[in-house]
Amino acid sequence: MKMKEYELFIGPQHPGITGNMMYHLWVDGDTVVKAECNVGYLHRGFEKLMESRTWMQNIPLVCRICVPDPDVNEMAYSMAVERLMGWREEVPERARYIRTVVLELSRIAAYLMGIGSYAGALGIYTLPQWALGDRDYIMDIFEQLTGARIYHIYIWPGGVRWDMPADLPKLIEKTMKYLEKRLKLYDDVFFKNRIFFDRAVDIGVIPKEKAIEWGVTGPNLRASGHEYDVRRLEPYAAYENIDFDVIHYPELGKFDVLSSGGDAYTRMLVRRLEIEQSISIIRQALKKMPSGEHLLKHPNWFKWEVPPGIAYERVESSKGEYGYMVVSDGGKKPVRVHVRGPSYTHGINVAETILKGANIADVSQILFSLDICPPDIER
Amino acid sequence: MKAKEIIGRGEEVHGRLYVKVEKQEVRELIKTLKENKFQHFVMLSCIDWIDDGEFELVYHLWSYEYREHVMISTRIKREGEEMESLHDLFPQIETYEREIKEMYGVNFIGNERLTPFFLEGWPHMPPMRKDFDSKKFIKDVFESIPPVEDEDEGI
Amino acid sequence: MKYEEWSKISRIASKKSLWILHFCTGCGAIEMPPVMTSRFDMERFGMAPMATPRQADVLLITGYLTVKTLKRVIQVYEQMQDPKYVVAFGSCPINGGMYWDSYNTINQLDKYLPVDLYLAGCMPRPEGIINAMMELMEMIEKGEARGWEKYRKNYEKYKKNQEMAFKFGKVEE
Repeated sequence: MKMKEYELFIGPQHPGITGNMMYHLWVDGDTVVKAECNVGYLHRGFEKLMESRTWMQNIPLVCRICVPDPDVNEMAYSMAVERLMGWREEVPERARYIRTVVLELSRIAAYLMGIGSYAGALGIYTLPQWALGDRDYIMDIFEQLTGARIYHIYIWPGGVRWDMPADLPKLIEKTMKYLEKRLKLYDDVFFKNRIFFDRAVDIGVIPKEKAIEWGVTGPNLRASGHEYDVRRLEPYAAYENIDFDVIHYPELGKFDVLSSGGDAYTRMLVRRLEIEQSISIIRQALKKMPSGEHLLKHPNWFKWEVPPGIAYERVESSKGEYGYMVVSDGGKKPVRVHVRGPSYTHGINVAETILKGANIADVSQILFSLDICPPDIER
Repeated sequence: MKAKEIIGRGEEVHGRLYVKVEKQEVRELIKTLKENKFQHFVMLSCIDWIDDGEFELVYHLWSYEYREHVMISTRIKREGEEMESLHDLFPQIETYEREIKEMYGVNFIGNERLTPFFLEGWPHMPPMRKDFDSKKFIKDVFESIPPVEDEDEGI
Repeated sequence: MKYEEWSKISRIASKKSLWILHFCTGCGAIEMPPVMTSRFDMERFGMAPMATPRQADVLLITGYLTVKTLKRVIQVYEQMQDPKYVVAFGSCPINGGMYWDSYNTINQLDKYLPVDLYLAGCMPRPEGIINAMMELMEMIEKGEARGWEKYRKNYEKYKKNQEMAFKFGKVEE
């Protein structure tokens, strides 16, 4: 008897998967015929937990939804609460700039992690060692600013928790200079490496005309050729006063355009180039940062009631559009908080579609190049 | 707002267009918006208004060209009412419907993939419903499990 | 050589080469890459990640466990060879942590698996992880990390508890 198709399970315990999730593959020879995503290994029921906690108690909860890039959660939740409270215009100017710095630092950290693990999936083990080591210097900045390495609980409705210490900009500048120096080495070792483009060009293509309809957002959408960035389209924090480029295909700067866009190669290069943009944003924000208040006066946390209404706020995370829908009925607790994780679309439907026809060896690099973050799928 | 011109109704709530419609009109509205550059389907969420005995389904759409966000809201009864599946309009609606079926128990006619999603072997009522008491559930299930004690020495 | 003496020597040898199973069960897994890579570099202590359960010695439960993951964790644990050690990482496996009222996370890990060492904090810092591993090494040398024996001895009880969690309390008598 000849075997036609066999089934392969990747994950949840597998080094080639982007976290605690599983893909069920049907394989013919070396080619994937059908892929099915199986998630829920990290489902904690955040949305249920948030309904039974007060508005301020939810702040330490939300940052745990996306582990590599936690600050966007606090930001989006705070923005939604500010919108309902009518504080949108009142947030202190200084807090806006501090938020911008924190969000961009967090983005760089997430990108370094993403690039490191992607290179690991290709078998180039130098880059994970470097990228994760360098990410730790950003963790040091966070530690000085917020007191924690991973979960900062720093962005609050109406501002930020503490003011930025006076000597921190110096450390940030030092780290940014160091990162710029390191990025050149990354290019030599990885981004201009023959192995990288031989393996990644035209792998896992998200076509330009389908990308928006499929709900792809963030760096993956920009790699497909759309110049869309929430920071530009719907500026939050201090992004409207800051000058930056939206990196998108086919404008890849110093790198060669080798493919027709939307593939793993372009997706990684977009992330690589955005690190430089983030560094420039941080510098501008530190330069333009005014002095003054950093937090609005909060009502008593135990009696805090938010006016009834429905608000949706979005921010640009390192994975794509992060959205929070917050519904209040005027009480001390939210009626409903719904989180739109960016991986929800590109981790399930899009990954299932583009894995079809891929080689088994390419499966894990496709998943890493999409930068799927399972905790924000299942919350 | 551009979206208001296209569909001719709705009110502005916190900077977003909020449209209340009957459930039969949802498909037509989303189709019209999709043809008029509202091409990004953001998400589908469900709110449990237990006092009214209703679920509110909210379809979020966004236009990159006009930079506008539309929420199309429809209400269905908590018990016994179903909704039409719209996964042919945007493929990711299939996943959102799958989640809502699991978390609230709303059935979507025409969606063939309403299989268990996050939970495995869940025997109780859908957990995101407001009448599901998770504190009582924890007490009954996880806290009632006895710790394992070693009989002879106690390691 | 007597068995007692021989096992002491083998314990001293095995404590210096601990293979940690590469299984990110929860958010604590974010602190594992820094520990593995150049800055904290756990390989100086003879620890390294291992992809397959059959060759691993330590099962790190990195954070909260949902019921769905618990099933996989138990399968993985039973595939590991004796002696094997479980380190519960973060506040969540101790008492549920901040997810104590979540309907999908188990609150106390030691009802389902024998835990040798707890490492508290949310999250524990990389230095904390390394410190815990040194502690575990000491326990191994002294022969105190005997959770796997406990699992064998009380296998029936553990199985019953696991079954109750998998069925969310609805076990048919």
